[in-house]
Amino acid sequence: MSEHKPRKSPEKKMPKAFGWMAEYQDENNLLVAARKVRDAGYTKTDAFTPFPVHGIDEALGIKPTVLPFIVLSAGLTGLATALLMQWWMNGVDYKYIISGKPFGITPASIPVAFELTVLFSAFTAFLGMIALNNLPKFSNPVFTNPRFDRATNDRFFLYVEAKDKYYNRESVKELLSGTHPDSLDEVIEDTTPSELPRPIILAALLLVVAGLIPAMIILNMRAGFSTSPRFHVFFDMDFQPKKKAQQPTTIFADSRIMRPQVKGTIGRGQLDEQEPFYLGYDPAKMTAIDNKNLSVFVSTQAAKLPDTSAQTPADGSPQTAPMTTPPAMAPGTPALNLPWTEKLPIDANEETMALGKLKFETYCAACHGYAGFGDGLVHKRADSLAQGYWLRPTSMHIDRVRNQPVGQIFHTITKGQGKMASYAASLNPKERWAVVLYVKALQKSRNADIDDVPVDLRSKLDEVKK
Amino acid sequence: MNLNYEKSSIELPDAWRAKSPILLSAGLVCLFIGMGCAFLGSANGEDKSQGFRYLTHSYLANFTFVFSFTIAALFFILVQFLTRAGWSTSIRRLAEILMMMIPYLALLFLPILIPLYWGSSSLYEWNAKDITNSVVASKATFYLSKEFFTLRSVVYFAFWILAATWFFRLSRAQDESGDTELSLVRQKWSGPLIMVFSLVTSFAAFDWLMSIDADWYSTIFGVYLFSGSMMGFFAMMIIISMLLQKAGKVQKLVTVEHFHDMGKFLFGFVMFWSYIAFSQLVLIWYANIPEETIWYQVRLDNGWAVFSYSLIPIHFAIPFLFLMSRHVRRNRIALTVGASWVLFAHWYDMTFLVMPNAGPLEVMPLFGHFLGGVGMLCIFGAMFIQRASGVPLVAMRDPRLPEAMSYTNPIL
Amino acid sequence: MATIASTFNPREIDNTDDIPGRRAPLITGNQTYGSVTDIVCRVAEEPQPMLWYILFGFSSLTAITFLGLIGFLILTGVGIWGNMNPVFWAWPIVNFVFWVGIGHAGTLISAILFLFRQNWRTSINRAAEAMTIFAVICAGIYPGIHVGRAWLAFWLLPYPSLNLWMWPQFRSPLLWDVFAVGTYASVSLVFWYMGMIPDLATYRDRSKSPLRRMVYGVLCLGWTGSARHWLRYEKAYTLLAALAAPLVLSVHTVVSFDFAVSQVAGWHTTIFPPYFVAGAIFSGFAMVVTLLVPLRAIYKLENLITLRHLDNMNKIILATGSLVGLAYATEFFMAWYSQNQYEGFTFMNRAFGPYWWAYWTMVTCNVISPQLFWFKKLRTSTFWMVVISIFVNIGMWFERFVITVTSLSRDFLPSSWGYFRPTLFDGLMFFGSFGVFLSLFLLFCRFLPTIAMSEVKGILSATAHSAHGHDAGHGHDH
Repeated sequence: MSEHKPRKSPEKKMPKAFGWMAEYQDENNLLVAARKVRDAGYTKTDAFTPFPVHGIDEALGIKPTVLPFIVLSAGLTGLATALLMQWWMNGVDYKYIISGKPFGITPASIPVAFELTVLFSAFTAFLGMIALNNLPKFSNPVFTNPRFDRATNDRFFLYVEAKDKYYNRESVKELLSGTHPDSLDEVIEDTTPSELPRPIILAALLLVVAGLIPAMIILNMRAGFSTSPRFHVFFDMDFQPKKKAQQPTTIFADSRIMRPQVKGTIGRGQLDEQEPFYLGYDPAKMTAIDNKNLSVFVSTQAAKLPDTSAQTPADGSPQTAPMTTPPAMAPGTPALNLPWTEKLPIDANEETMALGKLKFETYCAACHGYAGFGDGLVHKRADSLAQGYWLRPTSMHIDRVRNQPVGQIFHTITKGQGKMASYAASLNPKERWAVVLYVKALQKSRNADIDDVPVDLRSKLDEVKK
Repeated sequence: MNLNYEKSSIELPDAWRAKSPILLSAGLVCLFIGMGCAFLGSANGEDKSQGFRYLTHSYLANFTFVFSFTIAALFFILVQFLTRAGWSTSIRRLAEILMMMIPYLALLFLPILIPLYWGSSSLYEWNAKDITNSVVASKATFYLSKEFFTLRSVVYFAFWILAATWFFRLSRAQDESGDTELSLVRQKWSGPLIMVFSLVTSFAAFDWLMSIDADWYSTIFGVYLFSGSMMGFFAMMIIISMLLQKAGKVQKLVTVEHFHDMGKFLFGFVMFWSYIAFSQLVLIWYANIPEETIWYQVRLDNGWAVFSYSLIPIHFAIPFLFLMSRHVRRNRIALTVGASWVLFAHWYDMTFLVMPNAGPLEVMPLFGHFLGGVGMLCIFGAMFIQRASGVPLVAMRDPRLPEAMSYTNPIL
Repeated sequence: MATIASTFNPREIDNTDDIPGRRAPLITGNQTYGSVTDIVCRVAEEPQPMLWYILFGFSSLTAITFLGLIGFLILTGVGIWGNMNPVFWAWPIVNFVFWVGIGHAGTLISAILFLFRQNWRTSINRAAEAMTIFAVICAGIYPGIHVGRAWLAFWLLPYPSLNLWMWPQFRSPLLWDVFAVGTYASVSLVFWYMGMIPDLATYRDRSKSPLRRMVYGVLCLGWTGSARHWLRYEKAYTLLAALAAPLVLSVHTVVSFDFAVSQVAGWHTTIFPPYFVAGAIFSGFAMVVTLLVPLRAIYKLENLITLRHLDNMNKIILATGSLVGLAYATEFFMAWYSQNQYEGFTFMNRAFGPYWWAYWTMVTCNVISPQLFWFKKLRTSTFWMVVISIFVNIGMWFERFVITVTSLSRDFLPSSWGYFRPTLFDGLMFFGSFGVFLSLFLLFCRFLPTIAMSEVKGILSATAHSAHGHDAGHGHDH
């Protein structure tokens, strides 16, 4: 081969000696010899055995290891990590509501805590042992002598290192000879070439390059563009043969995939909603009325109100107490004939008034105005746009509205009317009643005379005028 | 192997025999005063039925506390023969003496059994005349009736006493003859006996302890009691060995290796108890079924919450951390301190199992219960001395004794 | 002394008897340290018997089929299985619990028997630990593939995700499983590997080819057998054993929690944790026996894995089988005692309902067959112990099947009841896991030390120099 790297010629250099190695056939001889070496004062010693020989630590003066304490701290770290992790992840950062169990640390946190404690401890025990043993250490002068191969088989070795402060080549040799070893050799360094063989370097390079290929592909894909559609590995998962909301279908005659509530069933929570508190009228008093009237909102019907006293219900059930006469309505207005609640079902106090005021000003004032005249900002803007289809929001102070029972106003907020949408999603029933209270207060405020003001507050009016 | 020993080193200390009557009387006095405090302590004795409830529950808890050592001892003996163990030979006789106390404890069981025949339902609600709870009522017609209950208890005691007596006799016979065949007989029969033992002891736990809350049930209950009993047993063995050595006995025969091994078992059973107790808790807590959670709820209401939560540090955390160290286990004094703590923790656990069913946590009844526990322990000590008199404390002619003397614990 | 075993095989020496005061030899045939090394190393150094190639061919084909089926499953979906309403958990989870259970024996032998100073474990712990690793691999496949979107299985880990903005649900026992089985796999692997380091050094030092020497040399991290290293090694080994012992209990406990934390009748019962652990040890030891009997015969290891070892293992099978039986009895009693109609019905349904055949298979295999080990003749017959251990594993598979499927198919609302039928893929994918298991085990035998040489030599030494000087060279049970 013409290409040779210049190498140190081994024969010119004396191999370095690291100490003396004595070989024994029996572990008892080893123990005896070890004690002799220890008693002679040598500390940089070691024994090499195919299995741990009991008594060798004491015979050589080897001190106990600190490993257990390292493992204990690792275990406690594992425990703390697990508890902190579970508390923070499930109890603080993203609270999971699981069967109403408390957030934070519960008995359910213990299994993971235990496992992590063991995991951290076990890995530390192993890695700690490896590290404390200064392993991996592939190159070791003790391996030079082929006799040493039997250290992992059936022979026992005693080693006195040259590093020892009392080391003297001749006296150590003499001491060890006196223990009658099977063989006694000096430990010398390995003088064979130590460069990595070519094939290994090539193989390592190949692996590194091969390992980079996936990363390059990914980087290329992220940086580049493509006009082809995304590849769907799981086509039938991405495009599932099912219908979503609002889609048409041929299965049902009305082409809707969304089905209305089945006749005669009551959904969850709907039972409550048969109460006057949630409706604004008392459904129990409605047996005298044809049910059809309920769901039909007559927008352009005649002003004549149906005569309820003589009506028989559609389902033939006997008439119960006649309902109260509905209030008079202006001709031309749509008639909705329901047994409205007359009395406010919540306390009329400062708290509910303040709540009603807050909600009114949040949700209603935009259209109806702060005073309820129908001149809110939305109206002003829509009016100024003059697009042709805007109707002025109803004023609260016209007679028709002022005469409406509280239940009817509640019903309007709940269901909506005309252009006004339902506000049931924004206001819970209590809040809606509070708004009704406030609306009534507003109405009263524009329709009162001096007798309505309590005597002790009349002086305040003078202040307002000024 | 020549074991040089003096005959006196394996005999019970004379001082103990002399003190035994004092111990017994002190025990009885403490027990009666304790029971009295438990009874009177509730609302100054005005609510008699509540007082009876405290009294009977306290007695059951204290009885179970001392009884658990004896059946755990029987189990230990059976296992040592099943596994052909050698290390335990020098301490085995102490466990045999403990298991031979089962007949005495059968006497102590009578105050639990006899009131059933007076129609008492203070302890066992299923013995009442009118049971409103339908689940309890249907069980009480046959299974939880006082007759069947008595019959079962008799069967349990019969089995334990027969098994213990048989093994003890064989052991004492070997003291005389040194016949190895006697060991082989016990090895052969230990297996079938353990099978019957596990059934008998599980059902005893269900009958005596689980039925105080007669509509509650837990399949792990037998294992729970077993784990605590084994733990208490090892604590008791360590304490007895230490006391004997302090009195100058068995000093060469029970070595630091034996203490180390008993310490390892103690540690292991502390962990095993914790595992079983936690398993029962987490399953019942998680599924949240009222039929089951009631048992824990009773232990968290009416002032018992602090008591119950304290079980965790007392019965798990402190013994675990203390007994974890090899150096503690090899130091007889430290180990005995640990064992005494564990003994207290076992009493605490028995209290936890039984007392909350009696009523709210009140100071006087709990103090009375503690005093009763001390008294019961003293009575137990007196019984031990009585049983151990004239019995060599070590099975000197057991063929495995040399092995017990020569092993070491190199690393753990 | 002639026994059935020794009439079959002239190499069998019956060391199962025990005269109190004199321990039977654990290692037969007057071994020396050198001969122990030779016996074990020869397994990997000599060419493999033809049987190895036949078995490996068969098992690797099965394993490859399994992998192919997994691909098919991922592309098509879990509908290929029989899981349906109401039995949403069926074969995959039964297989998972089955394999995890089997894995427990290895760690028990390594860790718990070590803590109890049972010297006989040294001949079998290496193969048993290997079996554990491979069983846990087989087990871990099932949860990975049965989640539906297997490519998202990494969501189970608590990593910070900008995509999900949420964390795993730590209150679910299914997540506890991830941690428990994950920890168990890692710790078993570490324990197994650490135990092999000195033996890999032996392989290195006996290697004839430089490549072999290099590979084993790298794997053993340059181990020299230094006493200073042994000290820390033994300490680490002891610590790992002390950690692995409760870990073993905890893993199958967490698996039992998958069922027991629910409210389903037949699942929610407090005895599940220790009952599952006992069952796991039961099936694990049965699998160890099934593997080791052929292993020792094929590779002529009978002097190291002796009849006494097998006898001891069979006794443990008997003991844990009885524990399982005790748990059955307790559950049965409580089904009545609780007066809970659902509990009572569940147990009646198991025995007499549509799955009665599975139930009675389970009872016969789990309760009756291990009881045969009371008879010494069967306990020491290599043929019968393999037969019985196979039945035990069949029984344990059926136990998990009975628990899972009967409780789900008929729970609280009769209108929701349904009958489960497995599909071809359920069966094929279970069968395939055995291919993976056996392939890995065969590779282990081929390349790695099957017996812990250093530990066996350790017990040879301990007793050769004990008080009983005349028992030199045998190794004894202490």
